[in-house]
Amino acid sequence: MKQISVLIIDDSEIDRYVLKRQLNEVGVVDIFESDDGSSALEFLENYEENCKIYNKKFPPVVIFLDINMPIIGGFEFLDKFAELRNRLALKSCVIMMYSSSERAEDREKASSFDFVKDYMTKGEMNTQELRAKIEAL
Amino acid sequence: MKISNKLMIIVLLTAFEISLTLWSVFEIAKGATFHQLNFLHLKYNATFSDEILRLENGELLDIPLLKNNINNIRQQPVECLQQVSAFNKMIMRQIGTFQIIELCEKDIRDADSALDLLNQYTSGQLHYANLISELKMCSQTFNATSILFEEPTIKTVTFVMRTMIPLVIFISLFNILFITFMSRNITSSIDGVIQLLSKTNSKEDLETDINKNVSGELKTLLEVAKQRITNELMVTEVNQKLETLVEQRTFSLTRANDELAQFAYRASHDLKAPLTSTKMLAQFIIQDINEGQLQNALDDAEKIVKQMVKLEQLVIGILALTEADSIDQGVKDIDFQEILTEICASTSDLLAENDCIFEQKITLTQPMKAEKIRLLQIIENLVTNAIKYHDPNKERAFVKTTVLEKHNSYVVQVEDNGLGIPENRRSEVFQMFKRFHPKVSFGSGLGMAIVKKHVDYMQGTIDMTTSNKGTIFTISFPKGKSA
Repeated sequence: MKQISVLIIDDSEIDRYVLKRQLNEVGVVDIFESDDGSSALEFLENYEENCKIYNKKFPPVVIFLDINMPIIGGFEFLDKFAELRNRLALKSCVIMMYSSSERAEDREKASSFDFVKDYMTKGEMNTQELRAKIEAL
Repeated sequence: MKISNKLMIIVLLTAFEISLTLWSVFEIAKGATFHQLNFLHLKYNATFSDEILRLENGELLDIPLLKNNINNIRQQPVECLQQVSAFNKMIMRQIGTFQIIELCEKDIRDADSALDLLNQYTSGQLHYANLISELKMCSQTFNATSILFEEPTIKTVTFVMRTMIPLVIFISLFNILFITFMSRNITSSIDGVIQLLSKTNSKEDLETDINKNVSGELKTLLEVAKQRITNELMVTEVNQKLETLVEQRTFSLTRANDELAQFAYRASHDLKAPLTSTKMLAQFIIQDINEGQLQNALDDAEKIVKQMVKLEQLVIGILALTEADSIDQGVKDIDFQEILTEICASTSDLLAENDCIFEQKITLTQPMKAEKIRLLQIIENLVTNAIKYHDPNKERAFVKTTVLEKHNSYVVQVEDNGLGIPENRRSEVFQMFKRFHPKVSFGSGLGMAIVKKHVDYMQGTIDMTTSNKGTIFTISFPKGKSA
């Protein structure tokens, strides 16, 4: 299993915990966490400093993004991230949606961003599936 | 005067004029007939005279022929008298031509005498020579009568022409003038109404002017038209109101539908989240137990308990929100002291845990009438939020509840020195499933939506003042409207 760093953006501590544990099980250990889109954007914006602090672990290769969050939600984050990845060296960074929403319109909206590579529904993904998705990157 | 009456006068005058003209023509024609009859009288008398001359010359007496001649002569005065009416006679008497009648009657008598002479001769009572002589006399009399008949006839016809033609002309002229006057009168009435209606004066002034200046059919026409227009306007107004109502209803239904869809989405999302995580945690627990990682299993089991508490809070919140419209507890005098004591008791653990002071002040002269459960839920939600989202950086957290009475309203105020609502989120305060400090404490996100729903139901208003120094919610319930 290749070593990658990931960022989980989710306001639910328990959902972050669940995903983190599944990631650990597939061998991903470098995991950053944000509880809202706003703090995640701040984390990414602080590019140069984080590069120094985290060395090659930053920027994360995959961002797991929730949709419903209190301050900056998933879709607002995607809009801002689209602008951010042009400005900073974040082109290699892809996003996997990680939401409990099963609405088709949410899936379509997310897939309209070319850097969104997958849409995962909370509670429906097991460790094997997650491993396959990570390895397919 | 009514227009119909004016028109009727015009019709009667015209009919009178035509009748008079026809009568005049008829009377003048009657004069011509008299002349014609007199001409025939002379002609038959000439034939009669020739016959007598032949008898004098020794020709044979033809009694039937003579009788026929005399009867022919007699016929004209008879016809003449048949054509003379009582009115003619009266006029003849007035203008001194009544001798026409007398001459006709005399002529008839003369003819009867001549016929009698022939009868006397036939019966042998009269000699042939005497007969001829008498008949000659008769012929001369007939002739003299014809001559005498002509003058009064001409005089009568002349009178008729001289009298009737100017009269007809006069009446025709009068008629023209009167009809012109009447037409103008009718036109000016209509013009007057048009001018009245064209004026831009008020409805009341217009009605006064119409009552004052308009009468008859025009007034009736205006009243009927007014009623018709009023009805049509009323129908238009009703239609417009209905359209507006339909638009409003459609708008509110669309909004309610959107809200319901949003509610269903958020409710299902928020209800699903703890269930999903619980399912995953349960799987982890099984895995950990199998692997002998009991501490991990215990930690995850505790997490499950927290998720279940969240779920329970959510379900309670959703139930309270959906029941807010259907509560029917009955309006009673509210004992605010009792409510605040209950809230103080129910939040005592939370108050102690967060080291928060609960202050209260009630100044009412007369009790407010309302459903207790609504006020309890309003104040409880506000107080609970104030405690949960207190600011740990401040020296002492407090929540102050004040109930006071104004001239027209009751006011409930809940003030705290907590974290306040983030500036960019203040418009979302009363929306469902909104949480502004998720890191500080978990809530259903429905508390303020419940508060708003109760306040709206009670026709009250809610104002919010918030900053990082704290938040004040001020709710006013108008007196007499509390439900």
